[in-house]
Amino acid sequence: MTQHVLIANDLLSGAIVYRTADGWSPKVNEARVAEDDAEAEALLAEGKAAEADNAVVAAELIPVTAEAGAVTPNRLREVIRAQGPTVRTDLGYQADFRN
Amino acid sequence: MYRYDHYDKTLVKERVREFRGQVERRVSGELSEEEFKPLRLMNGLYLQLHAYMLRVAIPYGTLSSKQMRVLAHIARRYDKGYGHFTTRQNIQYNWPKLAEVPDILDELADVEMHAIQTSGNVIRNVTTDQFAGATAEEVEDPRPYAELIRQWSSLHPEFSFLPRKFKIAVTAAPQDRAAVRWHDIGLILKANEAGEVGFEVIVGGGMGRTPFVGPTIRDFLPKEHLLSYLEAILRVYNEYGRRDNKYKARIKILVFEKGAEEFAKDVEAEWERIKDGDLKLPEGEFERIKAFFADPNYETISEPVAAYEKARLADREFADWLATNVAAHKKPGYAMVTLSLKPHGGIPGDATDAQMDAAADLADQFSFGEIRVTHEQNLVLPHVRKADLYELWHTLDAHGMATPNVGLLTDIIACPGLDYCALANSRSIPIAQRIAQRFDDLKALHDIGELKIKISGCINACGHHHAGHIGILGVDKKGEEMYQVLLGGSGAEDASAGKITGRGFSEAGIIDAVETVVNTYLARRESKDETFLETYRRIGMDPFKEALYGTG
Repeated sequence: MTQHVLIANDLLSGAIVYRTADGWSPKVNEARVAEDDAEAEALLAEGKAAEADNAVVAAELIPVTAEAGAVTPNRLREVIRAQGPTVRTDLGYQADFRN
Repeated sequence: MYRYDHYDKTLVKERVREFRGQVERRVSGELSEEEFKPLRLMNGLYLQLHAYMLRVAIPYGTLSSKQMRVLAHIARRYDKGYGHFTTRQNIQYNWPKLAEVPDILDELADVEMHAIQTSGNVIRNVTTDQFAGATAEEVEDPRPYAELIRQWSSLHPEFSFLPRKFKIAVTAAPQDRAAVRWHDIGLILKANEAGEVGFEVIVGGGMGRTPFVGPTIRDFLPKEHLLSYLEAILRVYNEYGRRDNKYKARIKILVFEKGAEEFAKDVEAEWERIKDGDLKLPEGEFERIKAFFADPNYETISEPVAAYEKARLADREFADWLATNVAAHKKPGYAMVTLSLKPHGGIPGDATDAQMDAAADLADQFSFGEIRVTHEQNLVLPHVRKADLYELWHTLDAHGMATPNVGLLTDIIACPGLDYCALANSRSIPIAQRIAQRFDDLKALHDIGELKIKISGCINACGHHHAGHIGILGVDKKGEEMYQVLLGGSGAEDASAGKITGRGFSEAGIIDAVETVVNTYLARRESKDETFLETYRRIGMDPFKEALYGTG
């Protein structure tokens, strides 16, 4: 069963956000992971509701692999969205949230 | 430089006011994203992978120092300290916040700039030769005509909903630096046998998934008929261009399916009807526009310029830079200087706010306050005294804009690719960076000579891979980035579409593949004077294929 998280862009800043247990986070590791179709559908419904509330845009499910608290998107495109441009590691979330 | 009149100023300011209201309504929830999206796109605002992206038009690539300072200021205040100059001579900001975009547009409007028609199925920013008005090669400065096209096409009500986007390029020199045969309409300003000036009209060039080098549909159009002829072309396209399939909607498909001759007949018939109407160019109005592009107050300078010649002979690095980044000016004692935005290992076309400010200061100091943007993603100071070149070079070097590589292998065009773009399948910039790092030896680079590498991260071809001497197209193969190699393309006056060598290469393998292609050229060229493209055209694809894939 492929795991999923919900990604969107914040309406005002355009920044990447992930749906968490009770809101949104810029950190993919804090995303709520859907383990099955029902959970994925619930996530997507929350995304659509947030779109309707004009909180976010372009909400969609993306496949990920979640292990030991680390969530890694399966596609390179989504890895880049989670971290920031690979050619500017001083920008994006990789810079803003570097430990 | 052209200055807005009252109408331009009012139109742009009103548009900003309108968009500010639309943004406020979006933020308040009055407008949904579905309703807002076409409105933001009409103002150049996209949503990309990480954030919004704002594309600002730079009409025919010409900027004043004052405008460049505002571009720098926007990068600093509203973005992350840089902007990206594009193959359409525009600039893109990668991180603007939605609520601040109206403020950005207001600041742009104050210096007569905007983001109108930088997106959507409309006539986009008209582009031209970056050396326009400064090169001795041209019959006439093409910029007044480009300005005329800008005025005609701005918010043209009949052409606000074309089948697809529409790009026009103009040149007036035999050496085509504007890639006119790759545009929806390409115009070459030239003189006929009687010495009259007019246009060769090319229609239906384009890249994307179906590349076409545009055919000429009229050898000579008297210049006073420029706008009526363009209007006739757009009308035929607007009526017959396909709207059922996005991938077949560009004018190149219509011209190809109809045949260039038939298409031309339709255009001529429409043009006959309208050519002596309102669009016929009133001489007085054209002269008014032309006056804005008058020569700056050049000094009378006799050649040779002693200090320049002395520095050239004494300083080898300066001489290397002169060989590639400096071109002959129409006036004795002057030169055109290209500021390389391709530092080895850097991002093609990116400029920091500090670099933009430096370019503006240097333009004021050395080039009558004028700057150009090239479609190859560099900047140009078009009117520099040769006596000032040595000092200019030192300052440019301090700002990382003096890499002596213009026209060479590391002067790479690359689209933003998967690092930024929502449409991309693979990354372009890292490939450009690694090629530049592989060919870091300047002596070897100069020995290889003119070699244009162009990289696109998807089939839409924003990186002009079809027109690269070596083109690279990134594709997605089962989730992995793969890169196809194309050889033999050209965006110049000898325009041609490159051909794919064969199966693609991995991200790790593509740099070796480029090196193999270059080494094959070096081994097979008849002399140092034979360029890569000339060698390819002489020996064909096979030797390169063999080198890349073996004989089996």
